Amino acid sequence: MTNSLNMIIVVLLTYLLNCCSSSNKDSRDEILYWCSNNNDEIKFAKLSTDEWNKNNPNDQVKYQAVPEGRSSEEIILAAVVGNTTPDIYSNMWQGDVEAYAQAGVLVALDSLNGFLDFLYERCDSSVVEEIKSLDGHIYQIPWKINPIMLIYNVNLINELELNGPPKTYSEVFNASQKFQKDFDNDGYVDRWFGYSEVEVTWWQRFFDFYPLYLAASGGAPLVKNNRAAFNNKYAIEVFSFLQEMYNKNYFSKEKLSARQDVFLAGVTATRFVGPWEIAHAEKFKPKGFEYEYNFMPVPDDHIGPVYTYGDPKNIVIFKTCKDPQAAWNYVKTMISDEGDLKLLSLTNQLPRRKKLNTNPFFSDYFLKNPKMKIFADQSEYVKGTDASPVLKEIFDLISQQYEACVVYGMKTPEQAINDAADAVNLLFLE
Amino acid sequence: MLVSPYLVHFFLFVAFPVAFSIVLTFHKWNIISPMEYTGLNNYIRLFNDKTFFKSIGNTLIFLVIHIPLQIIVALFLAEILNQKIKLRGAFRGAFFLPVIVSGVVVTILWQQLYGYDTGLLNRLLTGIGIAKVGWLTDPNIAMSSIALMATWKNVGLYIILFLVGLQTVPTQYYEAADLEGATHMQKFFKITLPMINPTIFMVVILSTIGGFSLFIEPYIMTGGGPLNSTVSAVLYIYKQGFFYYHMGYAATLGLFFAFIILAVVVIQKKFIEKDH
Repeated sequence: MTNSLNMIIVVLLTYLLNCCSSSNKDSRDEILYWCSNNNDEIKFAKLSTDEWNKNNPNDQVKYQAVPEGRSSEEIILAAVVGNTTPDIYSNMWQGDVEAYAQAGVLVALDSLNGFLDFLYERCDSSVVEEIKSLDGHIYQIPWKINPIMLIYNVNLINELELNGPPKTYSEVFNASQKFQKDFDNDGYVDRWFGYSEVEVTWWQRFFDFYPLYLAASGGAPLVKNNRAAFNNKYAIEVFSFLQEMYNKNYFSKEKLSARQDVFLAGVTATRFVGPWEIAHAEKFKPKGFEYEYNFMPVPDDHIGPVYTYGDPKNIVIFKTCKDPQAAWNYVKTMISDEGDLKLLSLTNQLPRRKKLNTNPFFSDYFLKNPKMKIFADQSEYVKGTDASPVLKEIFDLISQQYEACVVYGMKTPEQAINDAADAVNLLFLE
Repeated sequence: MLVSPYLVHFFLFVAFPVAFSIVLTFHKWNIISPMEYTGLNNYIRLFNDKTFFKSIGNTLIFLVIHIPLQIIVALFLAEILNQKIKLRGAFRGAFFLPVIVSGVVVTILWQQLYGYDTGLLNRLLTGIGIAKVGWLTDPNIAMSSIALMATWKNVGLYIILFLVGLQTVPTQYYEAADLEGATHMQKFFKITLPMINPTIFMVVILSTIGGFSLFIEPYIMTGGGPLNSTVSAVLYIYKQGFFYYHMGYAATLGLFFAFIILAVVVIQKKFIEKDH
């Protein structure tokens, strides 16, 4: 009898918990849009939804910053698991989309009226191919990018009497050798040409190996048809280049990120960063400090445009959305010419659209923000990530070999790239 | 009926999670997609996973350094703090302070101390003409550095335990030894140590359990590097579960690791029983 009673209590509790989450879900009668939780993007979301709501009283959109958490990726995952996803989410890392698409929680946007026409109007066919899921459908709308480029300290580079910032690997070696200094003659280097986190964390490779690989290879993929595709001369060249940078102490192996900004302090002459560094540098740079951006360094024999990683963040519509067509109609205004200009002006992040650098609609902005123009020029040659549900593991496996080869020199670049490719191929077999 | 709150709690928070994680070990599950039955695949993968066994080895290295160091330092300091010295209370408080400071804060501070080019420790070393040490960047040293920091953080707690143990030793034994002309060292090894044996075993067990759950320190200081030399078993399981969402595999690793901890605790228990 007691046992039965206990079982009833357990079942009732479970039922009540279920009811709570369901009733919460059903009470929503407007389109819920989660934006990033940084202040500029919240401002953008407010302006964008206010304007929409004024003109569309029947399809009201409510914006909300993604709830606080260790990372927005974790919050979205928790929302998917708890079935509490918003209708629209605008800060989805492109590499996460495939896993969600395969889990069946995203709306196939190519099934919505007018989507494909709009997409081809906005983006090049290469971008459309890049965002296409493995099942042939499209689950994401390319929204914004923050291309990774080489930032350099103009005064320090000028002191080296070079012909401008280094563009190729041998120019970087030459500049690094001239720049490296041991001021107090204690046998230890006090300033390095560049700095990149040596941590093995998978996403750190977005700021060193991956953009350099894209630059060297002209935007080649890491994986193709469920096989590693990076086992090539470009990846080996990148590993060799970085290995020499660490080996000769042109890059510091120490974690410098916890101290004063080493770039602004002149401890390093360069870094690989995105446009977000502009606002930071403008706020904290010392008097007389000048900086500029340039393309990622490439192998000496490189021909053609220099690609980089664009760190794309895209918009998705979750299947919990009751009216995906209405949600898409709102998104269309959010990423219209006016919407994109608003995004640029408020957040200094680039919309992912073709011919951004030559479109007269945006020219005033770039005249006022010349440093952003460099990124707009680069935006013609950016890549996101390959469509794969195990992308984080792939970057992790590359990162493990990166540490062993590049940072600690325990493997040759050929061996490390081969080992990483073998491990990735094994991953696909599981 | 009276025990039903306990039963509800037990089923919801103990029995169900344990049973669910055992079921998970036979599945592939990334949280967002439906579970896929994979039989013994996770177990086969576990026995072929060199990094996992390296992480267990790292945890054992940590324990081998940490536990003796913890006992020696804590006992030494407890012995001093058990004497009638000036400001004894203040010293006891000072040694206990790191225990109540957040582990994350302590870890970040020590990360600064351990910095290769800019850390205080290396500045002191180079100041006296000794070469810099890669406290966190040398794969052969990094785990020892973490063990040293963990000892500094936790030693206050074990000082308190040893102080309690030392104060239970009857003073008559020392008085008798004094009459026999025993030296301080003889009294320590012949009287103090045997009398506080139960405390030492308690400290060993607590340190072992704490050591097996090593996570915050490598997670913040090194991320498990360099070359996986500081990746602890718990950190590795966490990464599998919450970085890569290999829930089935993480559950398998967790279950296997739980059996290892159980085996170690049983062996320790046997030693304690034998000693008594």
